[in-house]
Amino acid sequence: MRSRRSFFAAASAVVVTALTALGCSSDGSGSGSGATTGPATAKAAPQLVLFGWSEYIPEAVIQGFTKETGITLLSETFSSNEEMLAKLLAGATPYDLIQPSEYVVEALIKANKLETLDPAAVPNMKNIAPEMRGFPHDPNYKYCAPYMAGTVGIVVNTEKVKDPIKGYKDVFQEKYKGRIVVLNDAREMVAWSLATLGIGPNDITPDTLAKAKPVLTDWLKLVKVFDSDSPKTAMLNGDVDLGVVWSGEAAILYEKDKKYSFVLPEEGAHLYIDHLCIPAGAKNKQGAELFINYILRPEVSKIISDKFPYLNPNAEARKLLTEAQRANPASYPPALMDKSKKSETFRDIGKAGADVDQLITDLKAAN
Amino acid sequence: MEDESPRKRPLGKAGGLLAAPLFVWMLALVVMPNLILVGYAFCDRDGLGQVVPSFSLDAFTRLADPTYVRTLARSLRLSAVATALCLVIGYPVGYFIGRASKRWQGKLLLLVMIPFWTSFLVRTYAWMILLRSEGVINALLQYTHLASSPVDMLYTEGAVLIGIVYAYLPFTILPIYGSAEKLDGALIEAAANLGARPFRTFTRVILPLTRPGIVAGALFVFIPSIGMFAIPDLMGGGRVPLVGNVIQNQFGQGRNWPFGAALGVVLLVMFLSLLAFALRKDGEEALHR
Repeated sequence: MRSRRSFFAAASAVVVTALTALGCSSDGSGSGSGATTGPATAKAAPQLVLFGWSEYIPEAVIQGFTKETGITLLSETFSSNEEMLAKLLAGATPYDLIQPSEYVVEALIKANKLETLDPAAVPNMKNIAPEMRGFPHDPNYKYCAPYMAGTVGIVVNTEKVKDPIKGYKDVFQEKYKGRIVVLNDAREMVAWSLATLGIGPNDITPDTLAKAKPVLTDWLKLVKVFDSDSPKTAMLNGDVDLGVVWSGEAAILYEKDKKYSFVLPEEGAHLYIDHLCIPAGAKNKQGAELFINYILRPEVSKIISDKFPYLNPNAEARKLLTEAQRANPASYPPALMDKSKKSETFRDIGKAGADVDQLITDLKAAN
Repeated sequence: MEDESPRKRPLGKAGGLLAAPLFVWMLALVVMPNLILVGYAFCDRDGLGQVVPSFSLDAFTRLADPTYVRTLARSLRLSAVATALCLVIGYPVGYFIGRASKRWQGKLLLLVMIPFWTSFLVRTYAWMILLRSEGVINALLQYTHLASSPVDMLYTEGAVLIGIVYAYLPFTILPIYGSAEKLDGALIEAAANLGARPFRTFTRVILPLTRPGIVAGALFVFIPSIGMFAIPDLMGGGRVPLVGNVIQNQFGQGRNWPFGAALGVVLLVMFLSLLAFALRKDGEEALHR
């Protein structure tokens, strides 16, 4: 769902997944027979199975963790929250760590599918910035630790688009028809249209959807490309000049060329946060907590930010970044960093998700 | 299709034993999954998107929604056009290879197969590089002054068609080659001797005799292209949902497996009837021969 991969990555991820799945089962039976490699810490078993987003955790971080603790990390990757959810619930692989976004964390907590974190085992949680705390899905980070965050905003090729773009309404204009890329994500599109109507992103009812429909009908006609995986590609190829995309994608575009400017929509933007959590019944909870605590170390978190320019929730890690990194408006949109205002996050909307999905399919099919 | 001929010898015990792995394979990987699919279509789901084993017809009532009827109709139309294009392009190629000398046949077939050595996605991306605004074709058009500004090619329905035709063309060429290769040249000569002009020879002799190849080639394109979702997403910009995209979405973001399964069942029923129809026609023809 979030853009952390290309289809190439997805294709190779399938292969890697298959390989790790194989490796996993054989390793699993092997570890039963006694001591395996590495100077494992006394308490934790020497292996962790991580199920994370593709292209999200740098290899250097994983190697550093193994070097320090002797715990081998087997990782499997997914490319959408729902893909992760389906595999997790199928229960075929015993994952020790998963990496869901906020609305999925909420759904998993509701369904009692997450272990609570032992506060004593993750002291580095103190590094999390105050504005990144207190969200409704897990207000006190009892079940999860924030990994990286981001938002969805507007990216503009300022060489091609000269008029000022401030919000969604400026993007979806007749004159930009066929020059727009948006995320291929029904929930996102509906949230944007609701924002222009002054309705919150979680107020999904038949009534609000009916209000969003005429707005989206006008908008979707103007869009040239729907792509959640790599919306930056269409921008870079010159096929489109404007986009509503993940801030991380915009940050990469900005790093490549300053002509790509990022705008946080004036109608309102929502924040997404990805986490590390331990699924219920994990075999190596202690090892998982060790890993979470490791990730929350400022110097480790910095490595992640160097590689993937998302919004780092770790205040101490941010201090280690360069001035240029912190000034990237797509990574750290000034309006979003305003501590006086709490950004909204997506909530679990359960079965209403199907209505959102149907609305968008309907409108696209009508074009 | 020759399998249907009444002269076929029955399978002996040893033969049955040798075929056993195939039956197990078919049972475990074809029959079972499809039964599960049908079962899911009649189930309910919970908020997490898990299939709940309680009987529900929700998925099927939703199918009647005009959105999905339209989506299916659009997919059928696009697949039919793609199939027709594949036949028009693939028939001459298949026939030519089939009638070429043995020395050439192997080489020509190899040329048809070589693209398969590269990943399907890589080949699709290659097309995107060719078709995009700042791509190879547009650069060439502008360089030769055939176009003054970039022509919109990528992210259109035409691009989706190109992608599908390109991906499935070998599946049309190969069965047509198979039929053409077996075609007895003496029959063509006989038709000519009896005064048939080339066109008449083609419609009355060559076409009927290569029909099995045409039918197989058409089915090999039509059936898989209906469920295709990667090409419409990548080359069509995800703008126009085809039934494959809708199904994929139900198993992903839509978190509605029963509905995805119901759509799958619709396709399954459609394909089975199509196949039954094609086989029956062939059977009838075999009797008449």
